[in-house]
Amino acid sequence: MAMKNRLAKLYHSRKFYFVLAALVIVALLPLVIGRDYIISEVLTPIIIFAIYASSWNLLAYSGQGSLGHAAFLGIGGFVSALIARSSGFPPLAALLVGSLFSALIGFFIGLTCVRLKAWFLAMVTFGFSVIIGTLFSQFDAVTQAVQGFPTPLIAPRGLPFFYMSFAIAAVSILSIYLVMKSKMGLAFKAIRENELEAKMIGINTAKYRLLAFVLSTFFAGLAGGLYAQSIRYIQLEIFSPYHSFQPLMMSVIGGLSTIEGPIMGSAIIVLIDSYLYGVDPFLQTSLGPLFPAVSNVGPYLRYLGIGLFLIVVVIFAPRGVTSFFHRLYNFIRTRLKGTTPEPRKEPKPSLTTRMRSFIRRQFRGAKPK
Amino acid sequence: MFTLSGLAETLLWGVATGCIYILLATGLNIIFGVMKLVNFAHGELLVIGAFIAYTSSTVAGMNAYVSILVAIVAVALIGIAVERLTFRKVLGTEKLNEIFVSLGLIYVLQNAAVLVWGEKSKQIVSPVQSLSLPLGDISVRYDLISAVIIVAAILIFLMLFMKKTKMGLAMRATSQKSDASMLMGINIERVYIFTFALGAALAGAAGALFGILFPFNYLSGGLPTIKAFAIIILGGLGSIRGAVVGGLLYGIAEETAGFFLGGIWKDAIAFALLIAVLIVRPTGIFGEKGE
Repeated sequence: MAMKNRLAKLYHSRKFYFVLAALVIVALLPLVIGRDYIISEVLTPIIIFAIYASSWNLLAYSGQGSLGHAAFLGIGGFVSALIARSSGFPPLAALLVGSLFSALIGFFIGLTCVRLKAWFLAMVTFGFSVIIGTLFSQFDAVTQAVQGFPTPLIAPRGLPFFYMSFAIAAVSILSIYLVMKSKMGLAFKAIRENELEAKMIGINTAKYRLLAFVLSTFFAGLAGGLYAQSIRYIQLEIFSPYHSFQPLMMSVIGGLSTIEGPIMGSAIIVLIDSYLYGVDPFLQTSLGPLFPAVSNVGPYLRYLGIGLFLIVVVIFAPRGVTSFFHRLYNFIRTRLKGTTPEPRKEPKPSLTTRMRSFIRRQFRGAKPK
Repeated sequence: MFTLSGLAETLLWGVATGCIYILLATGLNIIFGVMKLVNFAHGELLVIGAFIAYTSSTVAGMNAYVSILVAIVAVALIGIAVERLTFRKVLGTEKLNEIFVSLGLIYVLQNAAVLVWGEKSKQIVSPVQSLSLPLGDISVRYDLISAVIIVAAILIFLMLFMKKTKMGLAMRATSQKSDASMLMGINIERVYIFTFALGAALAGAAGALFGILFPFNYLSGGLPTIKAFAIIILGGLGSIRGAVVGGLLYGIAEETAGFFLGGIWKDAIAFALLIAVLIVRPTGIFGEKGE
């Protein structure tokens, strides 16, 4: 019932039309661009990684930062590809089974993580991704992970696969949005802000943290299944730490704990990663002589750029790149309406908060307890 | 093939890798203890230390063991720059921000290292490279023995420093309660800079020793960092002695697991150990409540 009300409210809001416009634009994008390389190497990955980053973001929404999400990307990818390959299962159903399996493993890993905080959690999740990668390579007879194998396709590459990923992504991200806005999402938020206080209010923190884990790993597995298809050939490489850091970078650069942040971040990172590939020859001819030690400076310079970008965003725009768009939108709106912007209602800080920020300003970084 | 001498040799290599982990973990531990800062990019400092020692020993023709000093000084300076330019800005804001910044630093430092020094694996040539001490069935490389001695010397020096000097006292006070020590007149800003430089210097020393014992490339820093964290968790926060015990245990456990189960299990077993410990005690073996 509550869900229905929320949908009804969504239908009448400005946001709804905004989202609809965005969906239409994204759906038309490949038709406008029309180049095969761009569709299957840039646009499709952006969509798939938007699911992946959103799944990570949902977990972070409940205050749990994972450094091992590649485990679930890999489980989803391998399980769905293996099932689809061996039994002639319809690949779409295999995708679902892969995600469910990923959520199941996520449940057990989540069980071990519910009591852990901040960087202990980061360590343990990272450890699990290494362990799961090792298990997959150890049981090579079943998984064929060491050699890798070509993944069976749900839809032909190019436009059909793009639209299928697009539909799945739209449904997934809408579900994540609804979860965030539901009572469950409120519990996640309370846990993120202050776990002890959340417990005192009466939130079963262990249950909700576990729920966040299961939901997040489900969508990560889904993204993994699609990713395995988009790269055509699945290998152990899917478990690499790079894939664990990816959703984190995307969410942080785009804007943590927002729904549009991970999507924006995914677009930015994939563009730097795949689209700017074309810049490499230029970088090599212009900057290559400066670095004689490497034969192709392009990729390294691009990754260096990603790292710098991440640091700059965290320091100067902790709410991500999308916060600029929000500001721009508000600016334009007030200009069009010709009214002065309403001052943003901020909760009056209590004396201790004010004192804290005062002390922090005075001593620059001495961390208040 | 199981042989007793094979096992003994494995244990020795466990001690050697353990020594390097100890230096790295001690540096991380000091930084974490004093600044409450988690630096996942610590291993990149190790790699840069190894590269600097490599350059000063091959290009400038220095003795490999002298080049350790160069690496220590250079990496300490890099550490100061890193602390001033990045971590300083997010200290005291949200806890996760530090993790994000250090992940960004991994990318920056790793790719900077590869641009300067290239992709190929390198090893520092020490003057006693091919010599080893025969002990019954097995023979021990002199480099291994000297690495153990150097690590022991550094650790003893460090313990004395923390106990006997004014700066050491200030660091210990800050690690217990930063605001109280600020009120006592300690210049926390300076303590933080010094702490980070010290931690980075230890990583530099670890890197130079790593480069003498093992071949390395620009990607070598990632796993040692994670392992150093595991050691801190095993050995306890803020305790140098704990890091020594944890580091040796970890290095030996890892090499033995590799010996009995095959190389690919090395990392997985180590993490399994860590996870098992954390399930029983979510804040580590000697961990305090709260943090």
